[in-house]
Amino acid sequence: MAGAAAKVDAQRIDRQVENADQRLWRWLTLAPALVLLLALSIIPLVGLVLTSFQNIAWAEGRAVRSWAGLDHYRALFSDTLFGAGLWNTGLFALGAVTGQMLLGFALALLVSKVSRARVLYRTIFILPILIPGIVIGAIWKLMLNYDFGLANQVLGLVGLGPVDWLGNGQIALLSVIMVDIWHWTPFCFLLFLAGLESLPQDVYEATKIDGASAWQELLYVTLPLMVPTIIVTFAFRLVLAFKVFDEVYLLTKGGPGTATEVISFTLYQRFFTEDKAGYGSAMSVTVIFLVCLLLVVALSARRRSEGRA
Amino acid sequence: MSFDFRMPRRDLLKGMGAAGLGATLGTGGIRPLYAKGLAPITIVVNQSPWFASFRRTVEAYEAATGNKVELDVNPFAGSLEKQRNSVRSARGQYDILIMNSGWFTEMYAGGFLDAITDIDPGFKLDPEIYTLGDTIYYNAQKKTVTADGKLMSLPVSPLIPLLYYRGDLYKQAGLSAPKTFAELEANAAKFHKPPGMYGIVQRGARGPHTVAYDFYPYLYGFGGGIFKDQSAGDYSVTLNSPEGRAALDYYIRLARTVGHPKTAASDQAEVIQAMVTGHAAHIMMVIAAWSQMDDPNKSAVVDKIEFAPPPSQPGLPTAPGLGHWLAGISRNVPDDRKRAAVEFLRWFQTKDAQMETAKAGGIPVHAAVYKDPIAEERKYRWMKPLAEALPHAVNIYQFPEANDVIAVLEIGLNRAVAGEISSVDALNGMSAEIHKIMEKYSYKTGGLQPLK
Repeated sequence: MAGAAAKVDAQRIDRQVENADQRLWRWLTLAPALVLLLALSIIPLVGLVLTSFQNIAWAEGRAVRSWAGLDHYRALFSDTLFGAGLWNTGLFALGAVTGQMLLGFALALLVSKVSRARVLYRTIFILPILIPGIVIGAIWKLMLNYDFGLANQVLGLVGLGPVDWLGNGQIALLSVIMVDIWHWTPFCFLLFLAGLESLPQDVYEATKIDGASAWQELLYVTLPLMVPTIIVTFAFRLVLAFKVFDEVYLLTKGGPGTATEVISFTLYQRFFTEDKAGYGSAMSVTVIFLVCLLLVVALSARRRSEGRA
Repeated sequence: MSFDFRMPRRDLLKGMGAAGLGATLGTGGIRPLYAKGLAPITIVVNQSPWFASFRRTVEAYEAATGNKVELDVNPFAGSLEKQRNSVRSARGQYDILIMNSGWFTEMYAGGFLDAITDIDPGFKLDPEIYTLGDTIYYNAQKKTVTADGKLMSLPVSPLIPLLYYRGDLYKQAGLSAPKTFAELEANAAKFHKPPGMYGIVQRGARGPHTVAYDFYPYLYGFGGGIFKDQSAGDYSVTLNSPEGRAALDYYIRLARTVGHPKTAASDQAEVIQAMVTGHAAHIMMVIAAWSQMDDPNKSAVVDKIEFAPPPSQPGLPTAPGLGHWLAGISRNVPDDRKRAAVEFLRWFQTKDAQMETAKAGGIPVHAAVYKDPIAEERKYRWMKPLAEALPHAVNIYQFPEANDVIAVLEIGLNRAVAGEISSVDALNGMSAEIHKIMEKYSYKTGGLQPLK
């Protein structure tokens, strides 16, 4: 008995040593990635959070920091630009992402049904996403110019306009949304096309045998099967739309008034132009929190849809 | 946007020769006035309409002395960010900072510059150099710009806005340059035939210092202001005075009745574009854009534009806001580069160098240039109105936190011009915010009763 017990103990100790070795090995192999994560993400983030509780002034060429407590976070509530930015960002994200999803899905559906020249169509449709943001700004600034833009020239041919696309507060945000839809629809198109091409073909064959119409096939087969892809695409685009900056900076600079003010642009102004490092940090932390929140909501929706499937 | 300016080679060579001659004669055989073989320097500068002339002047300096100068050229806001990054680091990248009226006090008060006379106690400011509201001096004890402070910088471009108007149309209509706001409005209405011609095109967009800068001549020309008396240290906010309201109502009315429909989204480039393409009868613009008006490569209105001091209310003087640029020397650069920077400024302030600036399309900072026969030439017809307006130029900000106030004005004025809020709400809102800013930085401040 005693010998058997000793053998069991010895085996347990061997296992423990082996486990400890494995754990050590795991940590050692993980360490470089952890160090990188710490250096590039965690430390700057901690620095940002700490700065958000401070005031920074400059004297004798040196930074003088003082404690601000929650002042910067409280000030966010009375900041006209922050409020307008948050509201417009919500409108922008909703409008742009909805437009991109609908158009992207429609285009993907069309291309998936085409048997000839599919590569050509795909190449043409993804072109806008390949153009640098600064070039897109230049293209659309010219296209939407009040005095000599192509959009107003076309309207003029049919006796309409001119329309002040970027200078009229009523439609400036809509114009920026249109540009963003043009720019980012290819992203949705590509993801949807990949999703559609990976759907099981036997289900479609069964649908045909059952005599379903094209509309019924779309409604009862394609859309339910595409839900996970739709949610992922939506989540990606929503987060990216929430971070929009370049189009607003290049086309309208947030104006006229606060018509196209978005949160990233507000942040840029407060942090960089106005040099309010503490307040800008508080705004940054809030924006990071909101983007994370969006991501969590989108991912949990995906998990729920996968659970139902 | 590019503001490239081409200058006949002969003129450039003449200028270089003059500069070289000046340098040689000025030595008096004792020591070279403009030292050679100095450390190369780097200047951070913005790409404004006067940049091309500055570049040509720098090239003339290099040719005259053999010293090397590198220019780091940026958009307006980008230049400020680069300057901040440089002066806040252990060792600066830029030896000379070209600072705007909106941020030079930030550099003075932050301790980021060395006084020119601290680097070289023998440096003498040419008495004919414009001191532009004494903004080249800073008194650290009083924390303000005043002639009893140290010499911190040298003016590079004495920018103020002038009224540009279509002289050919005025001649046809038998009109003379408007002196009052009422005359400006009436004349603009006469020429307003959109979309081919707008009575006036204003710079109403939001920016780093855009609509606010455009509004200053109206605000001060109506007898209004932002603060009660900055020189006396009284920062009580007076923006929402009846005069301030009259100015903003007038500015908005001009935009709506005789202006461009996209005033709230028009920036400097678009305003200049409207003028040079012949679609504007008037613009109020910094004088630095003059050279573009007569450039046949850029302008459809060559020789048709005339210049006048900004109008004002009867009985009040013209009151353009100073939007000038100053050159200061960074504190955190090696001593040999600081000395080289001083030598560049010593050369830059001479009449010869300033003549080069004028010939290259820039605005001289030396009073003697304006008395030179050159001022009588048709090409330089802007010099007299500029010389007339400069003594009345208003230094809008005398404190380092000016940027905070400008940010408030930019959004408030733009919202009012865009019709998002009323002029009364805009003025009351901006005044309250500015009051809060001044209070936060412990200035003596107060305010008026809100407008109703």
